[in-house]
Amino acid sequence: MSKWSEKIQEIIDDFSEALDQMERYEMLFEYAEEIDELDSSEWTNNTRVVGCQSEAHIVVEFGENGFHLRGSSDSQIIQGLMAITAIALEGLTPEEVTGFSPNFVSEMKVLETLTPNRANGFLNMFLRIQDDAREMLG
Amino acid sequence: MSLNSNMDEVRSQFPILERVLPSGKKLIYLDNAATSQKPEAVINAMNDYYTNYNSNVHRAVHTLSGEATEAFELARKSVANWFGLPSGGMVLFTSGTTDALNLCALGWAKVNLSSGDSILLTEMEHHSNIVPWQMLAKEKNLELRWVNVDSETYQLDLEDYKSKINGVKLACIIHTSNVLGTRNPVEELVKIAHDSGAKIILDCAQAAAHEKLDMKEINADFLAVTSHKMCGPTGIGALLISPGIFEEMEPVIGGGDMITEVFKEYSNYQENEHKFEAGTPRIAEAIGWSAAINWMDELDMKAAHQHTLNLAKNAAEGLKKISGIKVYGDHSKDDISGVVSFLHETLHAEDIAHMLDSMGIAVRTGHHCAQPLMRRLGVTATNRASFYFYNTMEESNAFIDAVKSIVERFA
Repeated sequence: MSKWSEKIQEIIDDFSEALDQMERYEMLFEYAEEIDELDSSEWTNNTRVVGCQSEAHIVVEFGENGFHLRGSSDSQIIQGLMAITAIALEGLTPEEVTGFSPNFVSEMKVLETLTPNRANGFLNMFLRIQDDAREMLG
Repeated sequence: MSLNSNMDEVRSQFPILERVLPSGKKLIYLDNAATSQKPEAVINAMNDYYTNYNSNVHRAVHTLSGEATEAFELARKSVANWFGLPSGGMVLFTSGTTDALNLCALGWAKVNLSSGDSILLTEMEHHSNIVPWQMLAKEKNLELRWVNVDSETYQLDLEDYKSKINGVKLACIIHTSNVLGTRNPVEELVKIAHDSGAKIILDCAQAAAHEKLDMKEINADFLAVTSHKMCGPTGIGALLISPGIFEEMEPVIGGGDMITEVFKEYSNYQENEHKFEAGTPRIAEAIGWSAAINWMDELDMKAAHQHTLNLAKNAAEGLKKISGIKVYGDHSKDDISGVVSFLHETLHAEDIAHMLDSMGIAVRTGHHCAQPLMRRLGVTATNRASFYFYNTMEESNAFIDAVKSIVERFA
């Protein structure tokens, strides 16, 4: 877990040091570009994250190198949150993913700038990832 | 109160407009089509009721109940007078426009329409003027017909309306669109409906905020109105019914206050408005709405709307100059409301709304409870800035500048 904590801590620090909310949005837009993007042609009802205001789709993969997330959204803010989640969880085992707290986003002070609906959208996505991890565990 | 001569005085009566948000930005409230803000007169009237004469209305004989009953029934008269209710018409208090439309569906249409009968809707309708009719159509095997909206002119297709009204029992039409601002030619629509033998209900949720509606002039059978978009409190509206309609309706909700006698086997109902208002009514809300009407009665409504129009037109023109922005609605017209719906070609509507919020500007985003219209426009959502008479040209310009800065920075 420690190697991921460092990465996430770095992101948390960056966001905390942002001048204002607009800069945080700008950072989210930049992270949105870093995600392993799920092409919209791959969007199905199975990939859709229910409860998001915008279209948000994810595919959770557990390969030899552990957790990997592909995803995309028509909202760059939500795609940015997806990208940071992907960084937070990359390489983890299903057990580690199910035990991971989504609080890192709170520490980034990102959710404070979002309405409850959008914050819930992020949490729905995170819970969906953990559900997929639980399925892997059988 | 002359709006043009004393705009500052009008605005100063809305304390919330001085609000500074947690972001440190001063609020620019452009979500008036969702709900308007309330002047001190309304807040004070409701406070006065709860402070000095809060009591249940009608049957009690004590002083407070008498005062509350008088104020409550005076509110009904205020609503009737404000909306030009014809003699013999009635004000049935509801929780708002949605409730009023549902009351029309269940209290009148359910009683008077039979299997195979037709109801006419338009693609411009708010969901509140769609879903009740779908539910009733399913229950009673009714046909729903739909009038097209022209996605280029943003107007109802009048020829389509004329061709589809034939044989219809009830037309359910939005007076002024909450998405496009389009004011439909309701006087003509009512005449066409009546000429073909149909009754007509108008959803006036948006319209009542911007023009002084006169039911006698409009001549519709039903108007559905709400308080909270015209400076009154949330939680109250009314179904206004024309003379003769009351006798054709059956109560939807049973309970106290709507009866004259209750036996084990049956009950006898009141033969007045209370027949449709079972239970303790919305007393404070009615008093607040009445205060809003009294307050707006002092306002020059035409000047107020012209001011709103100027702000909306300014915003629409400003937005059109920003690369990638498309504005929905014909803001060259003078009978449009204060809404300006827009969308950027790449930036998601919600992302724009969040960024505007962080700049202190409140707008709405989403499908605006009008998904059939969204599909006609070929979009899933829009941003919507909606102006009201207490907004200023500085706010309209600040809004344009904010959108411009977002597009320049993020698109």
